[in-house]
Amino acid sequence: MALVLKYVVAVLVRYWLIHSDYWQTLANRVEIATPLNSWKRLIEGIYLFEHNIDPYDGDSFHESPLLLISFYSLLKYAPYLLPGVFTLIDILTAYFLYKTAKIFVRILKRNQENNIEVISDESKAMILTNLQLEEVPEYVLSVYLFNPYSVLNCVGMTTTVVQNLLLAVSLWGSVAGHRLVACIFIALATHQALYPITLIVPISILLADVNKGCKKCSYIRTLLVFILCWGFLIFISAYIMNGSYSYIYNTYGFILTVPDLKPNIGLFWYFFTEMFEHFRLLFVCAFQINALILYVVPLTLRFKNEPILLATVLIALSTIFRSYPCVGDVGFYLALLPMWKHLFTFMQQKFIAGCAFIITSVLGPTVWHLWIYSGSANANFFFGVTLSFATAQIFLITDLMFAYLKREFTLKHGSSRQVDGKPAKLVLR
Amino acid sequence: MHLYVYFQFITLITGNTYEHSHLAPRSLKEIMSRFQVEELHLTLTEGQWRHKQWGYPVMDAAPGAELYAWFSPTVTDVNDNWKKLSATLSGLFCASLNFIDAHNTISPKMALTPLGAMNIGLNYTSQFARYASLPREIVCTENLTPWKKLLPCESSHGFASLLNSRLIHNTNYHSIGVHIRKVCSNNECTNYNFEVKQTVALVYDFKIINSMNWSFKLLFGQGLFGGCPLSSSSKIYIDVTSNDTLPFKLSPKPISIIQSQRGGSDTLLAVYVIKADSPMINIGAKHSIDNKFSVTIPPPLHFNRYVLGYGKEFGGIVTEITNNYWAPIDIVLLENAPWWLPIQLSTLRINGEAESSLILKQYYSPGRSRQRPYHLELLMRLPPKSTTTVTIDFEFVFLKWQEYPPDANHGFYIGSALISAKLPTAKNYTSIPIDGTTLESVINASKPWYPAVFRTNGAMVSLPTPDFSMPYNVICLACTVVALAFGPLHNICTKELVLKPSGTSLSLRQRIINLFKKKKD
Repeated sequence: MALVLKYVVAVLVRYWLIHSDYWQTLANRVEIATPLNSWKRLIEGIYLFEHNIDPYDGDSFHESPLLLISFYSLLKYAPYLLPGVFTLIDILTAYFLYKTAKIFVRILKRNQENNIEVISDESKAMILTNLQLEEVPEYVLSVYLFNPYSVLNCVGMTTTVVQNLLLAVSLWGSVAGHRLVACIFIALATHQALYPITLIVPISILLADVNKGCKKCSYIRTLLVFILCWGFLIFISAYIMNGSYSYIYNTYGFILTVPDLKPNIGLFWYFFTEMFEHFRLLFVCAFQINALILYVVPLTLRFKNEPILLATVLIALSTIFRSYPCVGDVGFYLALLPMWKHLFTFMQQKFIAGCAFIITSVLGPTVWHLWIYSGSANANFFFGVTLSFATAQIFLITDLMFAYLKREFTLKHGSSRQVDGKPAKLVLR
Repeated sequence: MHLYVYFQFITLITGNTYEHSHLAPRSLKEIMSRFQVEELHLTLTEGQWRHKQWGYPVMDAAPGAELYAWFSPTVTDVNDNWKKLSATLSGLFCASLNFIDAHNTISPKMALTPLGAMNIGLNYTSQFARYASLPREIVCTENLTPWKKLLPCESSHGFASLLNSRLIHNTNYHSIGVHIRKVCSNNECTNYNFEVKQTVALVYDFKIINSMNWSFKLLFGQGLFGGCPLSSSSKIYIDVTSNDTLPFKLSPKPISIIQSQRGGSDTLLAVYVIKADSPMINIGAKHSIDNKFSVTIPPPLHFNRYVLGYGKEFGGIVTEITNNYWAPIDIVLLENAPWWLPIQLSTLRINGEAESSLILKQYYSPGRSRQRPYHLELLMRLPPKSTTTVTIDFEFVFLKWQEYPPDANHGFYIGSALISAKLPTAKNYTSIPIDGTTLESVINASKPWYPAVFRTNGAMVSLPTPDFSMPYNVICLACTVVALAFGPLHNICTKELVLKPSGTSLSLRQRIINLFKKKKD
């Protein structure tokens, strides 16, 4: 009952905001809409497509042809449904996250039972009870439905709403052991935004864990299915665009080379505005490697037993470091955090990070207005805010990982911090 | 009240060889043959022609520099020739035409048509035509001097000696131009000659010259000492139609007064024939009533263009076109937005309507950042006695810091839109008919319709600017944030948690003592 009520309230909030006078303002906010995902660009792309002008010829549209064709038909046959469709997609995302969290709790419980013998006597009290675990999915659902980032993202009718659904379904598919579902949806997400490609690693680990049997065969099978799906999507998209692959330059190329320097909540825009021209390529490569592949291998080696934590961290890191992030991406990974509710007691910087989130979220629009509309501030103000927002997110994610390590350590060695009766400190060495 | 002075110098290059050229500038001829240019138009303009108040000029020009050309169909790489052409002209006229590049060049589809003789059956308007304008270009003496050197008499004799840069650059509007086209040398048009037309248009404001009585001495600082001895004909025409409403006397008296009837409008022209050995002449007009204001009747088609919106995030360009005539007028509107002003076709509104029946044909080529401008052409039928408003939205672009011009907060110029019209009436129309050469051909040149290409006024936007003083700071700060993630992640991945005995914390005194103890050891 409470669940249904949550859905209803979430739908009402979204419906009200989409139909309010603020919709236009929200849909144009730099924090919500980037050149990649904005509703305005989608409309422009569809308009050009409708008038037989290649939308990928110019610089106005950067979404995948699949999305173009689906929204084109939607807009043509049932334009009145659009606000409803966006709300529905967002609710579905929440539902799939809820389902994912439910299965995740089961996995967590099973792992805990398997490892019960290594837990030290002192730490027996830390074993998660059923009651604690059962509320996790509820939290995940509530956070996705009601955190302002995802609400605003849905109201802004950005294509990130679709992206979030694809990610949620692929996460659900992998924890539930449906290889095909997971692979198809992660391929769709990769096709749309490229950065989710990193998620194939935790997904293949998860699938191998869930579907018992030969692990290596499972990895290879997952990878193969993913590559086949992705290749098929690339081909199908070219088929939609009359066999022309020029859209790749305007989607992946646009994401990777960062030609549009319109401010967003990420780190790229001001960095590459102020970049010296002959270092540009070097830093574009460095930043993209940082966002795409730098952390995948080390984190995989470290957290191979916790693929869901790995997935959470990879989603969060790619959100922080991607070229065109928006609040919708932030909202999505924030909704995954309640799954790690049992780690919160070990986190040291959650207060600082929380305060920074609130302050930057308020300050961002304020300094943007001062800079762009009243002309009394300059770009540095907004840059400062986006920097602190990124720092807050980094603190949150690294703190979560430290908390996980500390909890594991405490479970093994007990909660007393003593060496030979002398007080001791937990340090990394 | 304004005075429009228009100079036109025509040099005909006969024959196809350019080795021997005594009248025509060899430099221009070489450019034409080297880059295989069929037709070339270059204007350098300061100020804005006000069509609504001033009527129509003989040749309209966009503010700043404007260059358009048609290349021969035998040219394989038009873009390459275009680039070379603009660079060469840049050197010839000391103008910044070398800034013309793919990112500000378009190929007009409907708006521009060649004025000279062209081979029939080839589509000249799209493939081989190139158009570019540089609205920021400032026109000065350094452009006028090389322009004068192209004339057979340079500035030593003839009308060009009147063009004293000190005085003509003080006018409200001045425009110098070079127009080269092919003209048939016989009736069958089996052979052709090149016609080089050099023009100067000046507009004086009576308020600024402080009198409605003008004379050569007042306008140019000197009288005219005969025509160029090399010229076959030197004539001065003065439009004296307004003599009925605002009586004035010309001195010295004109040789004759011709009445010209063209497309329903009567014009009276006073003619002076200037010979090479004529004595010094100082033509002037004296009004019997000074400072009288007259009501100007706007021409059949006039327009206005402005930028909408506030802030530096979203804006719109509005072009208002008024048709005063009692019949519909067909026009082509060419909007040419630079790449840093991305217009969105989905926001195109004609009188507030998305799908307007006024549009007969539409062409759109979307721009690409740092490569290609946005190019929109609309063929529209303007209903009689109406104003049509064309609105299109754009988004401000954030440039890289090195892409901003010096004085970035001065603003960015948006070039004029082109309006190509088929005027049904010759009211206010002074252009030379396509088959004519000199101003004589205007007399009684009635046609079913009158082609005209107008330039709307330009506009200016102020793009958001970064802080130009802190590239190092930004690079350092952003890299620090990346390092903030890299450090802990590196620690997490490479190190493990251990318990380290930490003892009771020592007091400062104890620590200092320990330090000394260590030294003793």
